[in-house]
Amino acid sequence: MRRFSVFLLIVFNVTCERRSAAARPSFVLLLADDLGFGDLRSYGHPASATPALDRLADGGLRFTDFYSSSPVCSPSRAALLTGRYQSRSGIYPGVFYPGSRGGLPLNETTIAEVLKPLGYATAIVGKWHLGVGPDRMYLPVHQGFDHYVGVPYSHDQGPCSNLTCFPPDIKCFGTCDVGLVAVPLMINDTIKQQPIGFPDLEKKYSDFAREFILTSARRNQPFFLYYASHHTHYPQYAGRAATGRSPRGPFGDALLEFDSTVGNIIEALKESGAHKNTFVFFTSDNGPSLMRMSRGGSAGLLKCGKGTTYEGGMRVPAIAYWPGQIKPGVTRKLASALDILPTIASLAGAKLPRVHLDGFDMSDVLFGHGPSKRKAMFYYPMDSNEKTGLFAIRLGKYKAHYYTRGSTLSDTTPDQDCHATSSLRRHNPPLLFDLEADPSENYNLAAPEHHEYEAVLRKIQKVKEQFEEGMVFGEAQVGKGIDPSLEPCCTPQCTPKPACCVCP
Amino acid sequence: MKTNSTALRAGAAQTVRSFPSRDRSPGFFPPVPSRELSVRALDADMSAEGLRAALLTLTLTLTLTLTFGRSCCSQRSRNGSAPNIIIMLMDDMGWGDLGVFGQPSKETPNLDRMAAEGMLFPNFYTANPLCSPSRAALLTGRLPVRNGFYTTNAHARNAYTPQEIVGGISQGEILLPEMLRKAGYISKIVGKWHLGHRPEYLPLEHGFDEWFGSPNCHFGPYKDSDRPNIPIYRDSQMVGRYYEEFEIDIKTGESNLTQIYLEESLLFLRTQAKAGQPFFLYWAVDATHAPVYASKHFLGRSQRGRYGDAVMELDYSVGVILDELRTLGVAEDTFVFFTSDNGAALISAPTQGGSNGPFLCGKETTYEGGMREPAIAWWPGHIPAGTVSQQLGNVMDLFTTSLALAGLPLPGDRIIDGLDLTSVLLNNSLIDRPIFYYRGNELMAVRLGLYKAHYWTWSNSWEQFHKGINFCPGEEVPGVTTHEQKEHTMQPLIFHLGRDPGEKFPISVLSEEYHTALQRISPVVKQHKKDLVAGVPQLNMCDLAVMNWAPAGCEKLGKCLKGPESQPWKCDWPH
Repeated sequence: MRRFSVFLLIVFNVTCERRSAAARPSFVLLLADDLGFGDLRSYGHPASATPALDRLADGGLRFTDFYSSSPVCSPSRAALLTGRYQSRSGIYPGVFYPGSRGGLPLNETTIAEVLKPLGYATAIVGKWHLGVGPDRMYLPVHQGFDHYVGVPYSHDQGPCSNLTCFPPDIKCFGTCDVGLVAVPLMINDTIKQQPIGFPDLEKKYSDFAREFILTSARRNQPFFLYYASHHTHYPQYAGRAATGRSPRGPFGDALLEFDSTVGNIIEALKESGAHKNTFVFFTSDNGPSLMRMSRGGSAGLLKCGKGTTYEGGMRVPAIAYWPGQIKPGVTRKLASALDILPTIASLAGAKLPRVHLDGFDMSDVLFGHGPSKRKAMFYYPMDSNEKTGLFAIRLGKYKAHYYTRGSTLSDTTPDQDCHATSSLRRHNPPLLFDLEADPSENYNLAAPEHHEYEAVLRKIQKVKEQFEEGMVFGEAQVGKGIDPSLEPCCTPQCTPKPACCVCP
Repeated sequence: MKTNSTALRAGAAQTVRSFPSRDRSPGFFPPVPSRELSVRALDADMSAEGLRAALLTLTLTLTLTLTFGRSCCSQRSRNGSAPNIIIMLMDDMGWGDLGVFGQPSKETPNLDRMAAEGMLFPNFYTANPLCSPSRAALLTGRLPVRNGFYTTNAHARNAYTPQEIVGGISQGEILLPEMLRKAGYISKIVGKWHLGHRPEYLPLEHGFDEWFGSPNCHFGPYKDSDRPNIPIYRDSQMVGRYYEEFEIDIKTGESNLTQIYLEESLLFLRTQAKAGQPFFLYWAVDATHAPVYASKHFLGRSQRGRYGDAVMELDYSVGVILDELRTLGVAEDTFVFFTSDNGAALISAPTQGGSNGPFLCGKETTYEGGMREPAIAWWPGHIPAGTVSQQLGNVMDLFTTSLALAGLPLPGDRIIDGLDLTSVLLNNSLIDRPIFYYRGNELMAVRLGLYKAHYWTWSNSWEQFHKGINFCPGEEVPGVTTHEQKEHTMQPLIFHLGRDPGEKFPISVLSEEYHTALQRISPVVKQHKKDLVAGVPQLNMCDLAVMNWAPAGCEKLGKCLKGPESQPWKCDWPH
């Protein structure tokens, strides 16, 4: 019997190899940074100008119930690329810094690594934020990506008060993180520019993405492009074409620039002839950074934003686009960034990594074949740890909060629950919300007058226990601490650091 | 099902009355394709069978009309220019209640399609954050402070027309249907009137040819001895009362009224289309106003509860009406505008109130949530499909635009606040104009471009707030959503609605931006105040004797009640 399956496997492999490489679909993953549930016109923002994303929304499948796995970026990105909760891969507590010793462990399998054995060309453009580490060992080129152009972490993780964010010479708003090396632009594992030139950056990204698509298509090679934009994260920046062009100020201009790159990528797909065989997926890494006020994005009608496990922190916009394959419309089905790896693997006919995956193949949702395989969403805080475990669980339409906590990142909203001053609170019984009737999490159902919901809570409790039993926390990578000598510096021998690391 | 059958019979009778005399045996005609279409437009899990059964009788009686409609329409050509006009005015529906404006609960496939086929207005406003003044403004093209639909009993209070109100729309005001009549239009209002319920104020006294609906909100039920239940009229005669002949089950939220209003509208459209008669339909449905209701087939269908069910039924009805226009062959001759009378009533949330999306507060207030409205224009072949207009619009523009479309001049003897949006609709051009946010007799705020200046702020009084009445639940912004009437006339609060549509972050008074914005806004406000001749306030006096005790037609139904002696008082408007 075993021999038979081995035989089948070989036949299958051979058949796959024989299918012309061009028949495999290509993949474009578009990731916005800190863009909230309510920031796009298609999600109800009255002042956003996003023609390209509007076209994706009109011609694709728009999700109303799509979740990132974390309310902050490093963990969310780790989960997106591996299909596994950040607790397993050890991407906690919080996010990586330029000098972080840790990174996404090399034995984790990324989407790029899933596709590589099938002959895919792979590239990442923009923000990595999964570690640099000793000898730059954690950079994307060591995680399955053939090409990398971008900033290996957030573009505010370096001083920015003297930098120009908008042409001709509007300085970046605020100081960003002082005491670190200036933010570098890297190509593969080499620093090309330090500090980065913001007004010209998007054109570099857009041109690279376009060239990558056209070249791959010319070679008849299927490809995976991961465009992890810095937009609309603080400090907002943009080039000449977008500056002052949106009704939404700096935030709107940054969003408009992101949108124009999305437009350029779709154009390149059409030009290369790859568009009919390319699955495009757009989403955001976490909710809006409300502490930045009118430069901070909008969670729409959802409660709180970045840094919290309320809906505004983790429910994000998402659009799947594949003309001719995915029917345009809106879906309320439950899905998550964790599901992207299994979905891409399924569409490509690739083997899944032999580890515990937390994602589900979304094909049934995408092609309208049936209900979502995902029944629940689990909410870890930005500093997930074994002691408190899950903060919240969504099962069907119900969400139970076992713990709640505000965050500096969501300060300045009128709702006190969002603020850093709302410290950790355990809820017993958990707070219970019906997210369909009450997406804003205003009306707690776990109250004496709603005793009928006790059954719901019992069910959720069971799912929680089951999930946590199967959860093995990986070694905390962010917890390994910081070594300033690991900060990327284009002139490694110079002094005094970090100020001397400058290569225009 | 008493309500349903009564109304349907009444509806059928109406159709027959307005027919020219011909052979009208219904048996010869094929099934109605429009009905098939509409049933399909329902959400997939909707029971098509149930609805079909409920409407079967009606369908049969209407088959005739429809077929006449079809045969006539191909020949019909009114020399193009003046289109039919349909204004769909929702009651307390919020900006954020439509899928196309970001509502995640997917209740509005038909409105979303209407937007995809027409023009969407994210910056459309009402003239007042409460129903009666908003409706008076829509039909007169004038701010309530000009047309008299306000009160001077207290400063900056919203007033409306409950049944103890003595006043109503004054004889001196010219309403849209009165004007359209000059161009040969036949006008019908279906639903809520709300411009006064005493005989001289009713729709047929003010230019409408037909009416099916009620003069006031559907509050109730009441005990006859205290106050009468609100009557439903057909034209100038009452045909029953809410909670009596026209049921609304307060417990379950079940009522067939939206279905009845839909059928009333379809009958009218078919009759006018058949006659080749230009028409104006004012579809003022009120299912989303508390107490919120939906018919049996929609109850429990939405994920938001009763409010969402009501939205789904209204959305369904919009789909049926637009399909009907296509079937009748008049879609390209009919300008349809969808909007709402004021922001969602957050006091009734979550089961009986809607969503204002990202905007601050709701109904009764002059923050964006109280006055920014969902709005869609539809006119196939004329309005470019799938466009989004950034034009600042106002319900008063519907008066002016309708007259322009009908080829009529504006009344020359008075100030009209509405703009002609024809060029916006046809060419997506932009007209610079201010938006004035009134609450009663006070100009609370002004929007010019992307800047909004608040001269007065007030959500509601501490007294009301402590009673649990909250117009801004979960979104109190210190210094903005004030519980005293706070004057800022010397130094208005200014917001940039592009960067900050939720009005959370006032622009610093020390910034250059503040001064530039204020320099632009101040002269506009000054000019407006200088030119303003306030109308005689119509909403100051109340009297229990004027309630709907014995509306015209009550004798025939044996439904006349005896009211108390007249004892007028100055109405108390707490908001």
